[in-house]
Amino acid sequence: MVSLRVYILTRVLLTIPMVFILLSLVFFVMRILPGDPVIAIVGMKASPEHIERLRHELGLDKPLWRQYIDYIAMIMRGDLGRSMIWGKRPVSTEIWDRFPATLELTICAFTVSVLIGLVTGVFASTKPGTKADVGLRLFSIVAYSLFIPLLGMLLQFTLGVKLKLLPVAGRKSPLVQIDRITGLYLLDSLLTLNLVGFVDALRYLLLPSITLGVVLSGVYTRLVRSSMLEVLREDFIRALRARGIPEGQILLRHALKNAFIPVLTMMGLQFSLLLAGAILTETTFSWPGMGTFLLERIEYRDYTTVQGTIVFYALLVAMVSLIVDIIYAYIDPRIRY
Amino acid sequence: MRLIDPLARAIRRYWRVKRVDLALTLTGAIIVAWIIAMAALAPVVAPYDPYVSVDDVLLPPSREHLMGTDNLGRDVFSRILYGSRTVMAVVLASTMLSMGVGTLVGLVSGYFGGLVDRVLSLVMDSIYAFPGLILAIAVAAMLGPGVSNTVVSISIVYIPTYFRMIRGQVLSVKSQLYVEAATALGAPHKVIMLKYILPNVIPVLPVVFSMNVADAVLTEAGLSFLGLGVPAPTPDWGFDLRNGQRNLLAGYWWGSTFPGFMIVLLAVGFSLLGEGLNELISPERR
Amino acid sequence: MRRGISKVVAVVAALVIIVAIVGIAYVYQARKAPAEKEVIVIGTTDRVTDLDPASAYDFFTWEVLSNIAEGFFKYEPMTLELKPALAESYEVQEGGKVWVLKLRKGLKFRDGTELTAEVVKWSIERVARIEGDPAWFVLDFVDKVEVVDKYTVKIVLQQPVAFFKAVLAVPTYFPISPKSYPADEISPDNTAGGIGPYYIERFVRDVELVLKANPNYYGEKPRTKTIIIKFYKDATALRLALEGGEIDVAWRTLNPSDIKDLAKNPDFTVVEGQGAYIRYIVLNGNIEPFNNKLVRQALAAALDRKKITEGVFLGTVSPLYSLVPAGMWSHIDAFKEKYGEGPNYELAKKLLAQAGYSETNKLKVELWYTPAHYGTTEADVAAAIKESWEKTGMIEVEIKSAEWSTYLELTRKKGLPITLYGWYPDYIDPDNFLYPFLHTDSNRWLGKPYSDPEMDKLLEEAQVAPDKATRTRLYEQVQRKLAEDAPIIPFLQGKLYVVCKKNVKGIVIDPYMLLRYWLIYKE
Repeated sequence: MVSLRVYILTRVLLTIPMVFILLSLVFFVMRILPGDPVIAIVGMKASPEHIERLRHELGLDKPLWRQYIDYIAMIMRGDLGRSMIWGKRPVSTEIWDRFPATLELTICAFTVSVLIGLVTGVFASTKPGTKADVGLRLFSIVAYSLFIPLLGMLLQFTLGVKLKLLPVAGRKSPLVQIDRITGLYLLDSLLTLNLVGFVDALRYLLLPSITLGVVLSGVYTRLVRSSMLEVLREDFIRALRARGIPEGQILLRHALKNAFIPVLTMMGLQFSLLLAGAILTETTFSWPGMGTFLLERIEYRDYTTVQGTIVFYALLVAMVSLIVDIIYAYIDPRIRY
Repeated sequence: MRLIDPLARAIRRYWRVKRVDLALTLTGAIIVAWIIAMAALAPVVAPYDPYVSVDDVLLPPSREHLMGTDNLGRDVFSRILYGSRTVMAVVLASTMLSMGVGTLVGLVSGYFGGLVDRVLSLVMDSIYAFPGLILAIAVAAMLGPGVSNTVVSISIVYIPTYFRMIRGQVLSVKSQLYVEAATALGAPHKVIMLKYILPNVIPVLPVVFSMNVADAVLTEAGLSFLGLGVPAPTPDWGFDLRNGQRNLLAGYWWGSTFPGFMIVLLAVGFSLLGEGLNELISPERR
Repeated sequence: MRRGISKVVAVVAALVIIVAIVGIAYVYQARKAPAEKEVIVIGTTDRVTDLDPASAYDFFTWEVLSNIAEGFFKYEPMTLELKPALAESYEVQEGGKVWVLKLRKGLKFRDGTELTAEVVKWSIERVARIEGDPAWFVLDFVDKVEVVDKYTVKIVLQQPVAFFKAVLAVPTYFPISPKSYPADEISPDNTAGGIGPYYIERFVRDVELVLKANPNYYGEKPRTKTIIIKFYKDATALRLALEGGEIDVAWRTLNPSDIKDLAKNPDFTVVEGQGAYIRYIVLNGNIEPFNNKLVRQALAAALDRKKITEGVFLGTVSPLYSLVPAGMWSHIDAFKEKYGEGPNYELAKKLLAQAGYSETNKLKVELWYTPAHYGTTEADVAAAIKESWEKTGMIEVEIKSAEWSTYLELTRKKGLPITLYGWYPDYIDPDNFLYPFLHTDSNRWLGKPYSDPEMDKLLEEAQVAPDKATRTRLYEQVQRKLAEDAPIIPFLQGKLYVVCKKNVKGIVIDPYMLLRYWLIYKE
């Protein structure tokens, strides 16, 4: 297990240059074009003196290299700084406000996609080569190519507007109160035994999660299918079959367990896709998460917030892939580091 | 030349074993070819000028306007036709750009190895791990709207994929006898890289291309949907989808759904084709 | 057999779970809180910037502030007469240079502090000290504030200003409690407010804002006890929220097509009001060929306003022929008088020919717009302008765009040739629609596109002229000169729309534009 610990440590250390590289990229690219947060918020009516004064307050009048060093030094201290526009709130607070919404959406979308992936994948693996198999293969390709805003719009239009089954924008009804503990509405409402809140939050979550979930499910369909096929060819399955164990039990209890490992490794990569897809989903459904937040702040060139958000995303991706790797290392003893 | 023989063999084998695969690949090819034809023939086929209003606003699909008119009275069908040019141009240009940069950097990195390789790999891995669309959004928003800026922001996302593949290939080719022989004979680095290594790693490019291009279509559409792509009034599917979306709820569905379906169609076409090519070129991957 | 069954079981189990979740969700369908009549939910795509009178300088934050605080005067709904609010009475002395305000006695802020002359002085001086965006409302006019006695304040101006009463009514002058606001810095999320019909109970940035009726309010009690503002990302979401029953009132800004469509729905009422919001094209006179008056006039003549108002906005805005909006005193349709109502292509061609252009030697211009700030319709506005100009056959328009911040900076520093901007008035007076654009000293923010000594003189005179008749005459002159020189081409005036449920009453939209929550109620 020592080797595993070394591995984890290396991985953790490797995230530092990754964050650093992305941060630098964003830092400099953002300053190429004219325009900065000061001019974006004071708008058109302010006097140049007023603008200069505000720039000075934010340190934007310093030379670029100086700003860069200051910023890196701040990040090193674990401080993401303060927003440069209205409110001048700490970036970490802003992220803490917005991230739970994205987390909740991604978890639910992930659940939806794995659920669809498992059902379709297992089904396809039991009938390789049949029409159903081909159909599901086509599904997996088409699903990934479904443009999220289009799918979202169609669902909004049919289920939301025409049939009035589900709400189509936002996270909860305005009159429903959910006390914030974690910021995940489903969890919070359960913790406070708030059934009305739970159902309400769930209803708002359904369409966005289904949209994002369906788009990402295709990958799981094929992955589950191919790894199931592989496992089903193995000797221990034959042995089980020979012993007369029911096929359903073999599939669900034995084969699926083993087929799940590749699915798990895929999750690290998928998480990145999930976050990217979440931006489009959030925009389509007015979901108050990180994606809409980032887009909004980019428009105002809120330097610190955009940089902080990118750092946060990078750390998040690194952390998730690390966790996935560790879990993988534990459950699959064949892997040695 | 080197490709043709295995290609023919692969096709023969396919025809025997995997008709379905071939059918799917062909479907993809047809879709893509059709959209390319659309792009090429847009000026001939399009009934109207896509830039100016030609009739009343928000007319439903009819014989005069196959897909109706948008909220400036422009013909949606004509805009779809011309829009295929924008998508194709941006996607192909950005793929070429990432292919070029990725190949070059991958070649250098893999060939020289050492610290250069480490640093470059680290940079590329960082970009690779980061959510592609978010990176493209950040870069596109900072660079501002415009065709070339959109191309650059999309290409950044895919450079690492080319880099990784090329670098891997270079590492395996580098140790082969003829390369070592050339090195021993004192051939300059440039000659070895371009003459001996590059030709042997190039076959991997179509594979990466086929894996990426559908994704690039979606990234392009995503950027223009968010208003970060090609500026108006250039016909562009992602942008037209967004533009039509604000009239969707009032019942004017044609302005947004047609461009949306075209995006999906093109992405599906490229995916099917890409998957097929992928299996043809490197059957061992399955 | 058994194989088949377990497989089916697996699939069915998964489906059952999904269906069950959806089912439960559907059955429970958001049980609304009781006492629904006491609550009105308003949806908007606007946002709150800084909840601090010293820093707020935008439509929606001003709207919130004017519901949770008050100034010395307040606009009477519809008549736009300034009625005493926190000031019981006032007196203007020394030819308009000194304003003496007598405060209402016994008014208390939420934190228990009494409203006194000291507090008023502190509040106004705080605005000047912090030097936030709207600080010029104080700095440009006020010389000093003096405490006469506990309830009497004296404001001494730098020079008499004809419209100072309107200035005094802006939220920047709302008194706030020194106990709740820091003296030297902006307090962006402060929910303390001033003395107004409502107070803020809860504020979650970009999500919701909950207002409760202020039990200690001196004036008329609000018709509805609780007002909830919900923030939406875009117009589509706002409409969906209205139709889904999430909100009772959809306020700014719905899509034009949605307003048209909702008007057909018997469940909703559409309330329409003339807004004082204007949009205009700026031709930068520092840049070739816009230093040529003939070119500017040709562009003004060739503009097809209908294409924008009827095409892009489906008739939810009206064409505008002057910088002073229709409905405001002194407004004249100056551009219509000069160039006619529709696009006058004949005149445009003539002017262009005079300027040396022809169908072979076309006038090439660059038109800039910003994609998000003025809504998603902006790209279409630019396209419509391009089309109408190109119809002359002698103009070629290239459209370019930049994000808001870049757009502003480019306009200010480099000067863009043609830009599209919009204006919400700061105070309700023609001066605010003319001076900032046309006076040499104040249009730096547009890249100083225009400077004319005669124009400057007219504007300065009008600012200090004591009587309305003289001012009207001067402003009419200014508008005619504007149409003649055409450095700025106004093209539309916004209407304001509120779409609400049938049972919601009491919505008043007048040129003051900010919604008064205290008048709204449910039947």
